[in-house]
Amino acid sequence: MKNLNIINLTKGETFLHQLSGTTKVRLFAVLMVYVTMSFDLPIILPLFIVTIVGLVSLKPSWKVIKPVVIFVVAMNIVNIVLFWLANPHCGFEYTGDKTVLFAFTDYLVVTKGTFWYLTVRLLKMLTSFTTSLVFIMSITPSELAAGLTSLGLPYKLGSIVELAFRYIPDISRDYENISISMQCRGLELDAKKIKPIERLKQMIIILIPLIVTSFDRVGNISNAMDLRGFGKGKQRSYYSEYPERRNDTIFKVIYCLIALFCVYYIVSGLISPRDPKMWIYWS
Amino acid sequence: MKKESIGKILLGKWDTKTIVGVAIGIALFAVLMVYGSIKVFTNTNLSLAMIVPVIVGGLFGPLPAALVCGLGNVLADLIGGWGLWFDWSIGNAALGFIVGCLKLYGADIEDGVFDIKHMVIYAVLAVLGNILAFGVITPIFTKILFGGELNITIAQGWFAAVSNATVLIIAGIPILKALAARNARGKNLTKE
Amino acid sequence: MLILGPSGCGKSTLANCINGLVPFSYPGEIQGSCKIAGTETSSSSIFNLSAVVGTVLQDSDAQFVGLSVGGDIAYALENDNMPREEMLPRVLNSATLVGMHEFLEHVPYNLSGGQKQRVSLAGIMHDHVKVLLFDEPLAALDPQMGNQAIDLIDQIQKNNNCTVVIIEHRLEDVLYRPVDRIILLEDGQIVADMTPNELLCSNIIVEKGIREPLYLQALKMAGCNVTIEDNPCNVFDINLDKYKDQLVSFYTSVDTSKPVEEKEVVLEVKNVDFSYDKKKALDDVSFSVNKADKIAVVGKNGAGKSTAAKLICGILRPDKGKVLLEGVDYLKYSIKELGQKIGYVMQNPNQMLVKDIIRDEVSLGLVLNGKSEEEIERNIEEALKKCDIWPMRNWPISVVSYGQKKRVTIASILAMNPEIILLDEPTAGQDYRVYTEIMSFLETLNRNYGITILFITHDMHLAIEYTDRAIVFADGKCIGDDSVFKILSNNDIIEQANLKQTSLYSLATRIGLNPEDFIESFIVAERRKRHEKS
Repeated sequence: MKNLNIINLTKGETFLHQLSGTTKVRLFAVLMVYVTMSFDLPIILPLFIVTIVGLVSLKPSWKVIKPVVIFVVAMNIVNIVLFWLANPHCGFEYTGDKTVLFAFTDYLVVTKGTFWYLTVRLLKMLTSFTTSLVFIMSITPSELAAGLTSLGLPYKLGSIVELAFRYIPDISRDYENISISMQCRGLELDAKKIKPIERLKQMIIILIPLIVTSFDRVGNISNAMDLRGFGKGKQRSYYSEYPERRNDTIFKVIYCLIALFCVYYIVSGLISPRDPKMWIYWS
Repeated sequence: MKKESIGKILLGKWDTKTIVGVAIGIALFAVLMVYGSIKVFTNTNLSLAMIVPVIVGGLFGPLPAALVCGLGNVLADLIGGWGLWFDWSIGNAALGFIVGCLKLYGADIEDGVFDIKHMVIYAVLAVLGNILAFGVITPIFTKILFGGELNITIAQGWFAAVSNATVLIIAGIPILKALAARNARGKNLTKE
Repeated sequence: MLILGPSGCGKSTLANCINGLVPFSYPGEIQGSCKIAGTETSSSSIFNLSAVVGTVLQDSDAQFVGLSVGGDIAYALENDNMPREEMLPRVLNSATLVGMHEFLEHVPYNLSGGQKQRVSLAGIMHDHVKVLLFDEPLAALDPQMGNQAIDLIDQIQKNNNCTVVIIEHRLEDVLYRPVDRIILLEDGQIVADMTPNELLCSNIIVEKGIREPLYLQALKMAGCNVTIEDNPCNVFDINLDKYKDQLVSFYTSVDTSKPVEEKEVVLEVKNVDFSYDKKKALDDVSFSVNKADKIAVVGKNGAGKSTAAKLICGILRPDKGKVLLEGVDYLKYSIKELGQKIGYVMQNPNQMLVKDIIRDEVSLGLVLNGKSEEEIERNIEEALKKCDIWPMRNWPISVVSYGQKKRVTIASILAMNPEIILLDEPTAGQDYRVYTEIMSFLETLNRNYGITILFITHDMHLAIEYTDRAIVFADGKCIGDDSVFKILSNNDIIEQANLKQTSLYSLATRIGLNPEDFIESFIVAERRKRHEKS
């Protein structure tokens, strides 16, 4: 099922897995703000290292995550190169530095400022990636639903997410079956033999029955939910959501502190904008 | 049949059926993100997942469609493992809302109503929606969230807009037509 | 209590009136009154009703809304916002009742239909419900699991002293355990409300298109006039003393000799192995298919029958061994080429239908294969006529019935003139009327046009009545390949493959006849009767 199995449906054994959904979701939300708010190396680098440690501690199946990691790192490097090609001086605005380190042509030059800016940017993107990778690999859909509810979102939103994960395997199995039966009837899906637009038209043939049968089940599922009292009250509890344990309490303190720091950093940045030249001190 | 008011159509009914419909929509979206992508060049995909919000819009209204498109994207990003890109997800949600407005201009997939007039409006909305979503909304959020050079985001935005609009029109119209035809009430049922 | 009736007779609507989905989700006009435990349903709410009436829906995949067994059982409790500590013992308790307590962490994807159904049952047992409502509990189960399900329902009814309402059309399978009353519905009206014995002795069930238990069919065929005093509702309890002679003479009177015909081999599977990743799915499988054969492929879930089907269609290719099609190794054909020789008909016709007009659907395969216009015209006309839907060729698919949709999908495969057609569970979830329609249609195709047909099925009735040969799979191995009656009288095979002894077997043993020969006589006599009719 390609990378659909990156998310676990049942709770894992390791330290991070064992935290409650609420802790994971809140921590992730705070960390996303943390990594987004700045281009500051001393802020980003520690998180990057921590998430790498976190990733290893999850004892992931490297077979599953290897292609994802390679793809994302490659994508981001391509992106950075594109940034540079579009404007070799793109770092100037942030660093105020134009010292040329290396020149290919008059236009294509590598400046110290741009080099630093792009390196930090790459690290920032990668940190955002590792953070969400650790998050997605440590959480189950039910915990995600419980966690979203703990952020004050309506529980129906959590139920949507949970149900979506429940039916992804069923729908992908349907997709495979329909695709098989259509290939037997002569549908050509080999990318080498036909042009993209032709393929788009071929895919429509698989999509129509898939859409019809997928939405056919809505009635039955909603009946099953109604019959077991879905939407009865303003709140609902979660079977898979453990009550707060010692480690959750520790993390509660940690994410509260990070959140406070984020507020301080953002507010102080708004009151007195940071000197863009600070970057260069790190060169 | 009673005509529903515009406000009601825009908000949709949030009963259990709609919740399940949105969930199934998101699941379908995620599955098609994985299986239903057609490589044009390396790194550029025509993704058939974009059709799903349109269908959900036709069945449940624009707000559920926006949710499918936005959340579907978040989920696909998470499963794909490449992190959260809220700037793009918000753009997608906006696009979902716009293309999900079928009922607003009288197209009704469930009742088999989707003719030339609706196709034209749909195609125009698909193009406008993409320009708005990826030409305006996404870059704005990119600037707010990540700062920095917008050239690349804008270029990527145009790319996304063009490929999405292609899928929405080339694949979307035949699919909507076929689904509407399947739901059309039978006329002239004589054995020959 | 059992509610019986053909599709569209109103039994599901009646069930929905009891559990409160009418009028909660299906608004409509209600007249009269429906009281559950003394409360009028129309003035109660679906939430209050669900504490009294527990419903197990037909589609166990749809009912399984949780992400794990435990999560699904807890679903109703979660909606009650019950704290987790309180939930855990109750979930364990319910799971133990249905024997699923060791599976709490399992995900739905890996469970069998029977297990999912047990989970559904556990999920509604929390509130000491007074009424348990089962909507077609047997539809998705293989025969053995069907028996277990009925056993479990019986046990729970006795232990909890609650009312059980079962909606089914498989009369014989439900009667495996005692039932107090049967209500027969037709066109939204109750046509019978009596004890099982009374119902079985009347002619009502046959008239209303319900399948009569096999042993009763056999008794009637032998000319026995069964009465209420004989206690006919179960093959083990029925009083047979006075009918023994009649049965024996019937059995000896049927001429079961058949002309031996030489048949030409179309497909040969030789020592095939196949593994998914590291799990072996097929292990040294060999069988052959002759021209104009009609074969049932049976076995429990995961036994390898769908893998075998995929292998035959060329979607999977063998790791070891060979598949010969008309003597040629089929590896040289692409899936597309093979698709024109071996047609594959999916279980759910909706998963195959793409176009909105019948003739367009039937021509789709030919168009995709780039055939010329004359050829397309000629082939679809022939296929539509064979399937008896030629007069409806310009109809939209949305207006035709399930059975007709099935015909359309079969016609769209036939249009490509395949050597063999392979049908996956052709009658799954259908009532006796639709089932008979589909199967007699396939029989006609086989008899009149010599089309080779393979069915994948877990329905033993289907195998007995409509096929000559059965290939049985268990744990990736082909454990039996013989005439249906030989297979059905072989206890080893039956046990390994999760099949079920038919009541004919028990009937024969009880009167001291050889079961194999008795089943054969019955089948031969039955088919003759059917052919005379058609």
